[in-house]
Amino acid sequence: MRPIPPEATEVGGSDPLDANLAPTLPPRLPWFAPLVRARVALGLAPLTAPAVIFVPVGYLLGPALLNVLSPAILSHLGPLVAVSLAALGVFVGLALDLRARDERPLLVAASVEAIATVGVVALATGFLFAQWRLELDLAAPFVAIALGVCASASSATAPAGDAPTHQRAAMRIADLDDVLPILLGGILLAAMQADDWGLALKLTGLTIVVGLGIALAGWLLFERAHEAGERGVFVLGALMLLGGTAAYLELSPLFIGLVAGLYWSYSPGGADQVIRTEVRRFQHPLVVLLLLATGASLSFSTLTAWLLVPYIAFRLAGKLLGGWLATKVAPGLTPTDLGAWLVPPGLLGLAFALNFAQLTSPATGAAVLSAVALGTLISEVAGAIVLPSPEGR
Amino acid sequence: MTRLAAFGLVLGIGYVVRHAVPAGAEAQGLAFALGLALIAATLAGEMSEKVRLPRVTGYLLFGLACGPYLANIISRTMARELQVLNGLAVALIALVAGLEIDLSTLRSRLKSLLNYSGVLLGVMYVGLVPLLWAIWPWLPVAPDVHGVPRLAMVAVSAALITSFSPTVTMAVIAESRAAGRFSELMVALVVLADLALIVAFTLAMQFVRWSLGGSEGEEVGIIVRLAWDVVGSLAFGALLGAVFALYLRFVGREVTLVLLALCVILSEAGRHFHFESVLAALSAGLVVQNIAQPQGEALREAVERGALPVLIVFFATAGASLQLDALAAIGLVALLLSAARAGAIWLGTHVATRSSGIDAEHGRLVWMGLIPQAGVTLGLAVIVANEFPEWGRPLETLIVSLIGFHQLVGPVLFRQALVRAGEVGGADRQHAEAQPAPAG
Repeated sequence: MRPIPPEATEVGGSDPLDANLAPTLPPRLPWFAPLVRARVALGLAPLTAPAVIFVPVGYLLGPALLNVLSPAILSHLGPLVAVSLAALGVFVGLALDLRARDERPLLVAASVEAIATVGVVALATGFLFAQWRLELDLAAPFVAIALGVCASASSATAPAGDAPTHQRAAMRIADLDDVLPILLGGILLAAMQADDWGLALKLTGLTIVVGLGIALAGWLLFERAHEAGERGVFVLGALMLLGGTAAYLELSPLFIGLVAGLYWSYSPGGADQVIRTEVRRFQHPLVVLLLLATGASLSFSTLTAWLLVPYIAFRLAGKLLGGWLATKVAPGLTPTDLGAWLVPPGLLGLAFALNFAQLTSPATGAAVLSAVALGTLISEVAGAIVLPSPEGR
Repeated sequence: MTRLAAFGLVLGIGYVVRHAVPAGAEAQGLAFALGLALIAATLAGEMSEKVRLPRVTGYLLFGLACGPYLANIISRTMARELQVLNGLAVALIALVAGLEIDLSTLRSRLKSLLNYSGVLLGVMYVGLVPLLWAIWPWLPVAPDVHGVPRLAMVAVSAALITSFSPTVTMAVIAESRAAGRFSELMVALVVLADLALIVAFTLAMQFVRWSLGGSEGEEVGIIVRLAWDVVGSLAFGALLGAVFALYLRFVGREVTLVLLALCVILSEAGRHFHFESVLAALSAGLVVQNIAQPQGEALREAVERGALPVLIVFFATAGASLQLDALAAIGLVALLLSAARAGAIWLGTHVATRSSGIDAEHGRLVWMGLIPQAGVTLGLAVIVANEFPEWGRPLETLIVSLIGFHQLVGPVLFRQALVRAGEVGGADRQHAEAQPAPAG
């Protein structure tokens, strides 16, 4: 296996999740570096691919094996999981600052790539569902689109200081391709709660309005807090309110977080900086919690097996097609460049699958989550192999 | 003005979201209620400070106004879910109080403190037992009971009415960043009184069982239970405090998270093994502060970061959980009993100050800090209600309405006492004095 670049991150290159937490490596013990990253991932510093460690640990602790994370405890952790998802959405929103001119074509390219992946995975799995006549306790198009949304997220990496321009652009596309799937996921979850498209649109609108309202309240308060402790309370309260509102209305916490993050990113003043600084204190415990909850919620069935192989295969096909299409939109990139960076699925696919599983029927939701989690672990390993090594740059 | 706008906005969002879900269909409302409480209660606390009331009153009033009996933004289910955090809050508050107590300065006053508590509780009992006996036929508890059973019920009721709230006392001190001799006196007093209350309540319950023809010959069991309650709790807390001190010394990272985890352990293990979590957490704090004092600012910062949100949620939850229907039903009786209790406290502190040698200036203020009642009283009332539902349930309702009243009035009075003692903000002043002067 090729060495994984030390700057590799889970959610996105220089986005706020990891940018300020470079791992400290012992200078004379390079072989020790991965262990250090694994240790410090317990809330102390970033990890290359935390899903590879914490999802299996969660499964070990979950109801299927040790039952330390029993169904009752998982149910208590539900609100915290929603808050973690909202925090992830906020990070994606904060990273989506398109005021720089060269960012906009990259967002378009990332969106094209994401739509292609969602389309390939959703259409192909939908076709297979019809051919196989699988008995699902949920409408097949919803399951197919959910798999497509989970498949479209990519784990970007922070470019090194001397990284060539095309590599930086590839990483940024991998970073930005989370945006459209979060929006699609938000609409999908709203549609699942509604009886008709009118109500679905109304719920989507409600998500946006409430997200903007909470963001506005936060913007009014963050920089006017009298002391650091109070500022921390406001930030924590805003994240809780974002995640809690989504959980209460059974909507997408990722989407509501994205809306708030976007608002803070574009609003005047330093609200975005306050959020970045404050959330850094508990971001890793939240990510670890999310992954442990994912692992503990896994439940393998025949349906999981039916979903897994098509998910991995169509995701890869979708990413390659998406990467090729993206190179047409963002000149200067080659499909090879982009394809390699798009393979590792990252955290957001898992996050969306967990959210989907929480809000839908237990059997199908668990099967989708388990297939996505297994697919993520396999793709992470594959991604580590195909990622360009530091020597090769 | 900006904060007022944010306050209105958050409440408006809360109202819209809360009423977007049909009644009875709500699920997973905990994080929503927590977020709402954290932002809006913080702002309510600040507004209350502007009108010279303690912040905790603002938190309580927020909970009351947004709770199930009034605006219903925090539903009954949410209020119940929020109470899951009470154990953590109580443990954290007691731990913070332990961290503020310097045993070396308190040791010289221990004799006079014991004297003071003994006289105070004695006077209160002597005052309240005959009063309750006399008005028993008019109390909505068990008016037809006479003789020894009535005396036993009166003894239990007196123990409940006499009880104080170490949690609220410590919370008001922590929230006011108060420090000084009066604050230390109050913490020591309510803790000693809490210990005495556990003993008195256990004996009174045994008296009731005997008078109503229940179990006999369980004296050994009572002693063992008392020893377990008191000594076991202190030892358990001390052990965890020592482990935490070692963590601070040798690891010292993510202190806020570890501090909160410690409080969860103190609370949950306490519940599992029947320890008094207040005593255990206080003991843990005492060990950290007096035996293994940590170097640096990590613990202080962790306490400041961890305590504030927990305190806000604790009091907002208390406000949202106030049973206004109980207060409305027997409010007048509760009000009269509350006045009698306040009179007994005032008389008790007056006599105790004269006989114990406590600083007269502080002695005059002590009664204002003893009015609050909360979790301990409610917990004991629940025990009575579960064991003797026939008369225990009406007694519990009466006690709940008393607690409701004392929750609202108590913190205001105690904060006023801290202001008069000149100790509000004392912790910050002490910290500033302890910092080395800048070079040059």
